[in-house]
Amino acid sequence: MICVYCGGELKPKGDRCPGCGRNVRMIKKLIATSNALYNEGLKRALIRDLSGAADVLRTSLKLYKLNIPARNLLGLVYFEMGEGVRAMSEWVISKNFLPEDNPAGRYLNEIQNSPAQLEVINQTTKKYNQALLYCRQDSSDLAVIQLKKVLSVNPKMVRAHQLLALLYIQEQRYDQAKKTLRNALKLDGSNVTTLRYLKECNLALKHEPDRKKKEKQNRELISYASGNDTIIQPVKLRDNTALTTVLNILIGVGIGVLITWFLVVPGVKTSVRNEMNVQVTAANETIADKEQTILSLQNQVDQMESQIEAAKLGEEESDTRLTSYQQLLNAYVAYANEDVDAAGVALASVNADYLDTSAQDAYETINTQVNEQYMDAAYHAGDAAYNEGRYDDAIQEFLKIMVLDETYHSGDALYSLAQAYSKNGDDQNAATYYRKIATLYPDTQRARTAERFLAEYADTAEDQEAEDTTAETAPAE
Amino acid sequence: MIDFEEELKNYEPSLEIEEAVDNIYSHDLTDLTDIFREMLEESRRA
Repeated sequence: MICVYCGGELKPKGDRCPGCGRNVRMIKKLIATSNALYNEGLKRALIRDLSGAADVLRTSLKLYKLNIPARNLLGLVYFEMGEGVRAMSEWVISKNFLPEDNPAGRYLNEIQNSPAQLEVINQTTKKYNQALLYCRQDSSDLAVIQLKKVLSVNPKMVRAHQLLALLYIQEQRYDQAKKTLRNALKLDGSNVTTLRYLKECNLALKHEPDRKKKEKQNRELISYASGNDTIIQPVKLRDNTALTTVLNILIGVGIGVLITWFLVVPGVKTSVRNEMNVQVTAANETIADKEQTILSLQNQVDQMESQIEAAKLGEEESDTRLTSYQQLLNAYVAYANEDVDAAGVALASVNADYLDTSAQDAYETINTQVNEQYMDAAYHAGDAAYNEGRYDDAIQEFLKIMVLDETYHSGDALYSLAQAYSKNGDDQNAATYYRKIATLYPDTQRARTAERFLAEYADTAEDQEAEDTTAETAPAE
Repeated sequence: MIDFEEELKNYEPSLEIEEAVDNIYSHDLTDLTDIFREMLEESRRA
């Protein structure tokens, strides 16, 4: 016990302070009363009459504010009721009055060293305040949700239980209100507000059956005035006939079919169509790939055929070249053996384009000499055959010269050939060569002879044609 | 019968942690011993 005047320790006996000597009788009475109230508060707290304990402890502190156990106990009661901030306030004040050997310091340390607990206190407080705001804004649903969140985090908060119960009572959900209030009573067994709400719930629930019955009747019957009469009839007229049942089933089936036809079938069709489109697209892509492959292979085939063709041409060219060289060699050998005929035949088979420059020079030299001798021999042989009347032989000899040089011997060979044909009775070939004479050597005796022959030949041909026409048009006997 | 609106007025917002310091400073800590001591001081002065 401390003297309020000097702060010194007071003795249990005596009315004067040993330190300052003042009369402390009244002060000691106040302190004793405060201690008695603390004891009462402690008893109530032990039987979980928390609100009663809080009231008594607050009174105790009003008498003597330095009653540290009373203040610490008040903090504990607040904490147990879910009022964390108020509890901490009391402990801070207590610690301020008695810094040493004070349990309040331990309580504060425990809370401050647990951030999770601090966060719970903070969130609970904020949500409770938000719920209260919702209540005042007539948003009961939101308030109920918010309070349920508060109680799920901090189920000790008596005020949240009470407010939730109040909201349930307002909505006439008395069963739920009662359940909430019972939970509140487990925390604070003699809370006046809780007990008052509970009494209200019990009263309401006592009259609940009558109320429910009346409501049910109101729901099932409707009444209206018709003239001077009041007609009361059930809301729903029941019709349980078999026909109605069958009709209902048929209507249901019909609706089901229509739904299937208009909603399900188009969906299935669309699905099938889409699937087919996908498959067609895939097939087209495959075909395109195949066509591309075929085209590529065809190009390869064409390329290879071209290579084969080129190889064949090359081979033919090589053969021709080889043959030309062989024939040139044969011609040379025959020429060396003075076999002009054989040399001429061999030279005729030589293609000079395939010979190289030196071979071409040799070819030209041999060819010139062989041709001269060859044509000279043929001309004399032909002339001799003509003079002996062997016109076929003559024609063969002169034709050898025509192959090499039509103008040989100033056209003598050509003229002799035409005459040989004429003598041999082959006017058609004779006319061919006479025309060449007339063309190559105009204004010469030979040309005039040729023209005369051609004129006679033309007359003869016309006569022959006329005779043929007459023979064709004459009637058959 | 409980009047919801009237009942609601009895509920006050909880103190938040940010408000704790202000609450402590504004706490009226005057007790009967203080009043009694003041009375004695006044009577002595008189």
